[in-house]
Amino acid sequence: MKFLTKINRNFFIMFTIILIFISIVGYYVLAAILMDDAKENLMEKEALIKNQIAETGILPNMYPLIEVKKINKRTIAKPLFRKIFIQDNLEDELEPFLEYSNQVKINDTIYYIRLRQSTFENEDLLTLLALSFFILLFFVFGISFFITKKMNKTVWKDFEKNLHTIENFSFIETKNLTLLKSDIEEFDRLNKVIASLTEKLKSDYLSLKEFTENASHEIQTPLSIVMLNLEEVLQQNLNKETFKKVHASINAVKRLSTLNQSLVLLTKIENRQFEADRKVNINEIVKNKIKEFTNLFETKKLKVEFLNNHEFHIKINEQLAELLIVNLLSNAINHNIDNGFIQIEINENELKICNSGENNGLTNETIFNRFVKGNSKSYGLGLAIVKNICETNQIEIKYLKNILHCFVLKQKFCENSVS
Amino acid sequence: MKILIIEDETDLLILISNYLVKENYTCELAENFKNANEKLSIFEYDLILLDISLPDGNGLELLKTIKKLQIKSGVIIISAKNSLDDKINGLDLGADDYLTKPFQLSELNSRIKAVLRRQQFDGSNILIFNEISINTESKSATIYGKTITLTKKEYDLFLYFIINKNRVLTKEVIAEHLWNDNIALVDNFDFIYTHLNNLRKKIKSAGGKDYVKTIYGMGYKFGEL
Repeated sequence: MKFLTKINRNFFIMFTIILIFISIVGYYVLAAILMDDAKENLMEKEALIKNQIAETGILPNMYPLIEVKKINKRTIAKPLFRKIFIQDNLEDELEPFLEYSNQVKINDTIYYIRLRQSTFENEDLLTLLALSFFILLFFVFGISFFITKKMNKTVWKDFEKNLHTIENFSFIETKNLTLLKSDIEEFDRLNKVIASLTEKLKSDYLSLKEFTENASHEIQTPLSIVMLNLEEVLQQNLNKETFKKVHASINAVKRLSTLNQSLVLLTKIENRQFEADRKVNINEIVKNKIKEFTNLFETKKLKVEFLNNHEFHIKINEQLAELLIVNLLSNAINHNIDNGFIQIEINENELKICNSGENNGLTNETIFNRFVKGNSKSYGLGLAIVKNICETNQIEIKYLKNILHCFVLKQKFCENSVS
Repeated sequence: MKILIIEDETDLLILISNYLVKENYTCELAENFKNANEKLSIFEYDLILLDISLPDGNGLELLKTIKKLQIKSGVIIISAKNSLDDKINGLDLGADDYLTKPFQLSELNSRIKAVLRRQQFDGSNILIFNEISINTESKSATIYGKTITLTKKEYDLFLYFIINKNRVLTKEVIAEHLWNDNIALVDNFDFIYTHLNNLRKKIKSAGGKDYVKTIYGMGYKFGEL
């Protein structure tokens, strides 16, 4: 979830809870105030009536609002309030009333006074007040919500831009990471930290890159000397035994050099030293490589079937893409049986290379490991390189084994790569 | 033909020059950047073998000098660095070819010949060995003046043999030459037989002699019988 969405969502949830809470509390506070007001009103009326009785002796009566009668004996000690409902004959429904009853002594006579006031209007008023309160709050919150949202956007704009710069930053490029300055202290601190971290990473990356290349260089040069000397020895008239030894030595030196190069290559791929600069057409590469490999297929009498069903593009370095296909095809040849076959299928976002072959006891988990060789005299690095290329280029690769040995490549679509 | 070899590793330098002298080239040696720079500004060479990583400078800088001085020599970069950067940079700066260490002398010879052929236009594009003649421009071969039709691989193989005549070539070396890098990943070199047998048949049917000698099933030698 985006930062601003998160803030806005939290704001919205908090705001709803607060709004409901305030509305409920407000309702009860208002109701209490109105009730107090009604009680006061009734008591004022009582005082007026008492005055009237004392002065004139007339007992006012107006059912249901005012009832006054003489009684002989007090039955209640204190004035009493209660809420009642009275049938309204006009509208034929029950109406709420607040009832006040008291027994007072005026000029030695005890009167029973019962006053009632309709609270029907009060409730109407209450609802109206609560509603307007709610609407008012709603607007206040709503406006502050939008103001915050707008403000957040401007405040976070530089941050967003910097984030974008960091996302697109690559150590392969020679230019440095430059972040926008903002007037917010925390952001500037973050920028400084990122800048110093990337600088450190970049220098580490460069020294690692240099190291792998130098290591490769230092090993290849003595290997060249061994190789050239052995080649010269081979030119002399050797007997079969000696020739065999020299030949084996040459091949061992070559193997050593290839191993060295493959390991350096693996490191380079892991360091992401090959830039995925554009979309590469996999169909074209597969087509070309099949053509190049024709002689190799023929030697083992392999039947090759190529189903080119759909265009398949991957954003990857072109050399790496070629290496990927070459390694997979070599694998399909080396681990094949004579008179076997290879099926290559390209579907939408999928490349499938299947070959016949003997059971090797390897699984999807183990087959890509380094120096796992199955039953061929290969180096055990080809598929490790394949796996590495896939992992660094958002490609999913799976090894499936039923009757055939299949490698399935699929392009992963990650959510944040949509730009 | 005069060749300047620039290489900081003395052993390698001597090995290469001994071989090239045997192949009738005149060789001059330079062990470092400074030495190479001096030689380049004074003498003229037909070809320069250039190691990129020198102790006192980058070989790519020498390439820039070669361009600046408008030296017309062919340049083959020899580098231990398999890095794509160097390859592309080197070729962009006008190098004619790029050879990664460790290489074999027969391959070096083949590359040198190819670069020299491209350098000169004085009819040196025809290689002759007894009754065989190969035209590297039209990529065709004749035996006793009769043209034989060859596939691309057969032609490459034939040319490689003629250039490296009287030399023992292992089948791995031949395979590597014919298929470049791809072959390193394939563990069976039997397909060489197929091409070689086809080539032999074609030469025979044109009346040519079979100059290819199989050596203990591990290598081949093309040369006088």
